[in-house]
Amino acid sequence: MNKGLKTFAVLIAAAYALSQPAWAASVKGAVAFTGTAPAGKPVNMAADPTCAAQHKTPQMSEEVVVNSNNTLKNVFVYVKTGLEGKTFPVPAEPVSFDQSGCHYMPHVVGVMVGQPFQIINSDSTLHNVHSLSKESKQFNLGMPIKGMKIKKTFEKPEIMAKVKCDVHPWMNAYIGVLSHPFYAVSGEDGSFEIKDLPPGTYTLEAWQETLGTKTAEITVPESGEIPAVQFSFGS
Amino acid sequence: MPPKKPSLYSLDKTHVAFAVSGLILLIGLVWMVLQDSSREWKGWQRKYMALMKERAQAELKETQSRMNAEELKKLHAELADAKSTAAQHRAEIKSAQNALDQIAHRFNKVKTEYQDLKQFQDSDRYFYEEYAEHHEEEKARAYDKRMKDREGELARAKLKFEQVSAEKEAGEAAVKAWTGREQELAKKITAMELDLTLAQSKISKFTPSLAKEILNAPMLDFIHPTLQIQQIVVEKLQDDYYFAKAQKVDRCITCHLGIDQKGLENAPQPFRTHPNLDLFLSSNSPHKLEEIGCTTCHGGSGQSVSFTTAAHTPRSPEQAQEWKKKHGWQALEFWADKMLPLNHVEASCAKCHTGTVDVPQAPKLNEGRRLVTEYGCTGCHKVEGMDRWKVGPSLTHVQSKLDADWIVRWLQNPKEFRHSTKMPRIFHLSNTDDPESQDRNNAAISGIAAYLMKNSDPVTLTAPAVKGNAENGKALVESVGCLGCHTVGGLSANHHGPELSGLGSKVKPEWLYSWLKDPKHYSPNTRMPSLRLNDQEASDITAFLLADHNEKFESNRPPYVKPEAVADLAVNFLTGTMRHEDALKNLNSMSAEEQLEFVGAKMIAHQGCFGCHDIKGFEEAKPIGTELTYEGTKDLSRFDFAFSEIPRTKQAWIFQKIKEPRAYDHGKVKPYFEKLKMPNFEFSDAQADAITTFVLSLQKADIPLEMQKVLDSREKQTEAGRLLVEKMNCQGCHTVDGVEGRVRAIIEDAGNAPPILDGEGKKVREKWLYHFLKEPTPIRPWLKYRMPTFALSDQDTNTLVTYFNHLSDVHERYVADEMPATTPEHLAQGGPLFTQLQCIKCHQVNADAALSASFLAPDLKMSKDRLRPDWILDWLKDPQAVQEGTMMPGFFPDGQSPLPDILNGDATEQIRAIRDYLMVFNPDEKPAAAAAGAKDRENTAT
Repeated sequence: MNKGLKTFAVLIAAAYALSQPAWAASVKGAVAFTGTAPAGKPVNMAADPTCAAQHKTPQMSEEVVVNSNNTLKNVFVYVKTGLEGKTFPVPAEPVSFDQSGCHYMPHVVGVMVGQPFQIINSDSTLHNVHSLSKESKQFNLGMPIKGMKIKKTFEKPEIMAKVKCDVHPWMNAYIGVLSHPFYAVSGEDGSFEIKDLPPGTYTLEAWQETLGTKTAEITVPESGEIPAVQFSFGS
Repeated sequence: MPPKKPSLYSLDKTHVAFAVSGLILLIGLVWMVLQDSSREWKGWQRKYMALMKERAQAELKETQSRMNAEELKKLHAELADAKSTAAQHRAEIKSAQNALDQIAHRFNKVKTEYQDLKQFQDSDRYFYEEYAEHHEEEKARAYDKRMKDREGELARAKLKFEQVSAEKEAGEAAVKAWTGREQELAKKITAMELDLTLAQSKISKFTPSLAKEILNAPMLDFIHPTLQIQQIVVEKLQDDYYFAKAQKVDRCITCHLGIDQKGLENAPQPFRTHPNLDLFLSSNSPHKLEEIGCTTCHGGSGQSVSFTTAAHTPRSPEQAQEWKKKHGWQALEFWADKMLPLNHVEASCAKCHTGTVDVPQAPKLNEGRRLVTEYGCTGCHKVEGMDRWKVGPSLTHVQSKLDADWIVRWLQNPKEFRHSTKMPRIFHLSNTDDPESQDRNNAAISGIAAYLMKNSDPVTLTAPAVKGNAENGKALVESVGCLGCHTVGGLSANHHGPELSGLGSKVKPEWLYSWLKDPKHYSPNTRMPSLRLNDQEASDITAFLLADHNEKFESNRPPYVKPEAVADLAVNFLTGTMRHEDALKNLNSMSAEEQLEFVGAKMIAHQGCFGCHDIKGFEEAKPIGTELTYEGTKDLSRFDFAFSEIPRTKQAWIFQKIKEPRAYDHGKVKPYFEKLKMPNFEFSDAQADAITTFVLSLQKADIPLEMQKVLDSREKQTEAGRLLVEKMNCQGCHTVDGVEGRVRAIIEDAGNAPPILDGEGKKVREKWLYHFLKEPTPIRPWLKYRMPTFALSDQDTNTLVTYFNHLSDVHERYVADEMPATTPEHLAQGGPLFTQLQCIKCHQVNADAALSASFLAPDLKMSKDRLRPDWILDWLKDPQAVQEGTMMPGFFPDGQSPLPDILNGDATEQIRAIRDYLMVFNPDEKPAAAAAGAKDRENTAT
């Protein structure tokens, strides 16, 4: 890159940074679970010895994963309304989606429209990634080689695009496709954090695979703290 | 003043009388001329002009608003300025123009001189070359010399030409300097105002004027009127006026002026655009206006130009009222070929489109035809070219299935047992519901039951082998394929076979079990296929289906049959062939049982039950209904409307007949046996309407062969397949030929639905398909739906194979067994590719289905016999493109292979290698033998 171009790029970056709102906040929160945790269904991996050999403990299905602190894992939290008409740059950084131990890692994931979605096979067995998306073009890719990577993109927002593996019927995952970067997936402690949300009033939605959705209204002020958002699902 | 001559009459009075009568005659004449010239259609044409003017004005306004008025104004100002400048310098312009004229004169002269010389030179060169080539040196030299001599002169002429050209250009530029700007501006303005001018000229075209009025004035309108009758003379078609035929002339467009104009879709009638210009009227549609005309499809009197005489037909009584008010419409009593109301216009398609199962883009006609097939109308009513099957079950073994009591209760009113049954009600209808007729009905019903019990053969039945589990039976019914034809409980995707309800109130377990195990055992001609149920499955399904009872029906008791009613019927039948006295004698010689059976036989013949059912003793019986082959063109006068109050049209008559078949007996006094006997199917209005369209389509049309849709042999074969597909209800499960498999609507995961058969002809080998259709074997281990065994005849099987080939546009035959040419390298690499892509992971051989049934794919051992080699290439390249939603993943996304080390990582070559490997793949065979087989193929390939 010559010097002129470099300077130009720096200028563009600076201009872009300046155009962003001065204050952008993080929305933090957690997803609680009340009631009795449903008993998971055991997964029988005997059909593929390669899968079975990777696990010493019995594997459970992942529809509802309740953490030890009575919170829910794998809840997709995103800004549902409040960002209409705004556009956001699409990160060039790919979202990683791994097939490991005959599970999808992660089970719930978010990606922006047009953002590279990198599918990896870390298992030494055949997997196929069969997208059942209703909005974007469906695909069904065979991944027979360990370490193989394929990049895909989604063309339209969708809550949620399902992905399944036809070789291993227990394997499925959900992908939240959005036109903005303001989403998070609740983790091992049930918490989530949506970063850099510009000031404004929004509706947040929490989506869970079998328990449905919950919404919350939030306002991000020009400055100051944002109270934590609590979602709660029941059995 | 001379004295008046004496006369016999008063001259003055006569003058007055003459004057008055002259005046009256004159007024009469004027009135007559005016009356004659004021025609209905002229009014419509005036209205059309007004409408078009309005639209043109709107267009003008729109154009104006679209135009950049500012800029146009500026241009006009500039033009005026340029003009005035030019006017001020008129003298200079004139002198410049004069100078240019002189130069132009000179230019023409030198140009001619130069061109002449050049031509001479070219001519000499030609001769020089000719002689030189033929070695006539002397002559060649002479021409060479002439050319050389001329060279100087030519060069000078050229120079001069170029000089004068330059002068001319300068002169032109000088003139243009004065006038160029003006011309340029004018051009720009014209371009900008083009749309405006067009709209304005349209407006003036549609604006009435004195000149136009004069041209349209009475007595003058023969010269060049602007209001004119418009007509289409259809060259190849004729109208039949009973005793004479005349070329078809349609004048409908005299009033329907916008019928072929785009943009009048929302205009008021009669000016509205035809609703489907892509299919009709336009010059690139298959039904061009000038070739087909209007009345060919719509009917009516094409030559007439008034609303009433054109024989417009209202769609409903409400529309008739509206028309009477608006147009003074009245039904034309003496015009047979009235216009078809729009809801039946599809009937006309069949004038030219014959011999196909369906007519493209005629949904209502097709629905009507489908209903006629489904309800077995042709069992009684012959329709030429429509040979169908008997739609009811065979009754030749009915004594093994039902008892007389059940049949009696059923015949009382079949819908009482099962609302969805296609069996019509025959007895106790509106013309036979008086007490006396009811007694006769009951006697007749008992007679039929007695006859059927006596005249059917028993078949051996097997009791369920094991105890059935109704719950499992339910799951089986919902998953093995019953829903591909039957409706069961709340699950309804098909009503091809009877709804499976109330069976506990109808049949015995041994009958149902035997039927499920092998339907052909009870009824060799049944369309019910075998699902190859094992003993447990058949027992479970039997248990499930028999658990459903119809308690209301069970509580019905057969009516009391009066012996005198039986005797009365028997005597009535007997007197048909003998004297009353002999009839009585004959009757007395019969036992009560024999009397019943006799009455039953006669009643079956009378009602034509054998039209739908196989019945012993009626194998050769002829259908009893009116032939309907030309029902659509039958004279209206031959329809008996009796005392009904419906409009006197064919469509009204047919609709009424279908809805209430006995209606035309109302108010009539008729003996029992002469009453109308068409049974009541209880069709809905929509169904009756569709059937009416179909019946109206049965026409004797005088259409020359070249205008008809004539099927070639391929199309005929395809249609034969279509009819078979309809008969067997293939589309109940499979998506094929533009229809989605009906059962798919109630299957959640498309992966569990019966396969899509679009492209099947391209996919599988003919021979394999033939054997598969004859004797299906499971292909997809995960699929619970079973392809039934239809026990098709050889001919039907071939028909289907050919049908699938034609649908896939597969032309060549007798290549099915050919193996693709291969190379040792491809064959050698196929194995490693097969292993590394882990095909065997899903395509397991002799797999343990219990372990992993959910993801087993077809056994690839079958591939070489089953699949066409070329199809495998397409499939491996992108399975989703061939069958959307398939579980088979693509291994070569975007044409890229994940294995760079084999065959240089070339995806196309790798796909070929896998295909070639599959063609020899046999996991049961020893590797050596496979290699030998491959070697043979190699040899044949080279």
